[in-house]
Amino acid sequence: MKKNILILGGGQAGIYAAREIRQNDSESNIKILGEENLLPYERPPLSKDFLLDKKNEEDLYFHSSEVLKNENIDFENVSITKVDFENKKLFTKNDDVYIYDSLLIATGSENKKLSLYNNLKNDVYYLRNLEEAKTIKEKVLNKNKITIIGGGFIGLEIASSLSQLQKKVTVIEIGDQLMGRIIPKQIADLVQSTHIDYGNKIILNKQIDKITKKNANFEILLNDNSLIETDFVIAGIGSTPSVKLFENTNLNLDNGIVTNQFCETSIKNVYAAGDVSNFYHPLYERNMRLESYQHAQNHGICAGKNIAGVKTEYTSIPWMWSDQFNLNLQLTGICNDYDEIIERGNDINNGIIYFFLKNKIIRGACGLGIAGKIGRDIRITSKLSEKNTIVDKQILSDQNQKLNKLIQK
Amino acid sequence: MSEENWIEVGSTDSIEEEDLIRFDHQDKTFCVYKLTDGFYATDGICTHEAVHLEDGLVMDDEIECPMHQGIFNIKSGEALSPPACEDLKTYPVKVDNDKIFIKID
Repeated sequence: MKKNILILGGGQAGIYAAREIRQNDSESNIKILGEENLLPYERPPLSKDFLLDKKNEEDLYFHSSEVLKNENIDFENVSITKVDFENKKLFTKNDDVYIYDSLLIATGSENKKLSLYNNLKNDVYYLRNLEEAKTIKEKVLNKNKITIIGGGFIGLEIASSLSQLQKKVTVIEIGDQLMGRIIPKQIADLVQSTHIDYGNKIILNKQIDKITKKNANFEILLNDNSLIETDFVIAGIGSTPSVKLFENTNLNLDNGIVTNQFCETSIKNVYAAGDVSNFYHPLYERNMRLESYQHAQNHGICAGKNIAGVKTEYTSIPWMWSDQFNLNLQLTGICNDYDEIIERGNDINNGIIYFFLKNKIIRGACGLGIAGKIGRDIRITSKLSEKNTIVDKQILSDQNQKLNKLIQK
Repeated sequence: MSEENWIEVGSTDSIEEEDLIRFDHQDKTFCVYKLTDGFYATDGICTHEAVHLEDGLVMDDEIECPMHQGIFNIKSGEALSPPACEDLKTYPVKVDNDKIFIKID
């Protein structure tokens, strides 16, 4: 049956869902409604290769307009301001109406903002979209001392890039380690040493009391009364799911849009995927919300299948990466629920991985290495954790023994 | 097919089954694989981003990029899973006297 399928959100989950629907349904109308006047593009390079001029705008698009045209997928740049789930309608502020039979919400997440005096609102920069990346890239050209508030992935990737552009970078983190929300301390400490080796200054355990503008520059007062002088301030202090549009509706919200393992929300024919979705994961038997490239892609594909009537459970093992300087960090599975840690390797040139086990079953791993050194073992860990494998700890801890032998076929 | 384009990679026992070795020749990098039914060769750099595939996982005739998990069929070079969407170039392989050769054009 020919349907009207709307995808709200022009990011990675949205485009992968659209193409997957088309693979399974040649008839229905598929339209992506994007808030940015850009075809869906890759965000990971924004903080890295884009800032470093190794990639330009054209390199970022997932697919050309030709691909979308060939697959009969419409893209419209429009901002939706009201949702009527009962009558299956979306509205713009001018009351233009979009009618759907099935709706996928893939609105992603948005940056948390620092609470600042109003007069400084425009002086602190954030990075989520291409426009913001362009602004930062242009503005830092004639700046030297850069301060980054927040020692998470985005802050550290920007710190790495700006250091490579010969800037003097200071990172201020409120917690007692970098990337503390999900990365084990052992790995975070290695990343911290690398930043310091390259000349970046890392300040942990400090809060910001005040930021004062001094002519074109700033003074940042920390809670230990120390003062940092800086030319430019960037903040990366986490994100929240983009759900404002749905706050006064019947849609079940709890840290994002609550979905089951089939990407279905509490409202029939309404699905959610990617950063915005707090989804049920059958392997972990609980809900989780992830903000990662692989998840946006795979969750979008899964939603696409379900929308097209191909009932598919989402069982993807969480996986994410960060590239800083010449290091590649990867994490798979769950690394914060364990009763045993096993270390593999002790030299980042060959890669170091920490495995996290619970009841002898491998639950997750986090590793750090030059370029792709840890990729294979991290990927094998995903496969092992997917099957709840009990593994030989001797093999895990011995870098001379290959892990692919552990995969049961 | 002229003989001089066949380049010696190494001996057949230099690769374990379901594994690969990286082979650099002039300014190019290749991956040479041993699968259950023989030897195969592809470009050594992922088509998605400039990442060496040598640290990737070989399984069931597939190579998976170690950085972003794009997957390619080793025999055909076909890109099987995003983010990879451009196929990987493949090269003919022959074995002669326990030595592996690949044909580079």
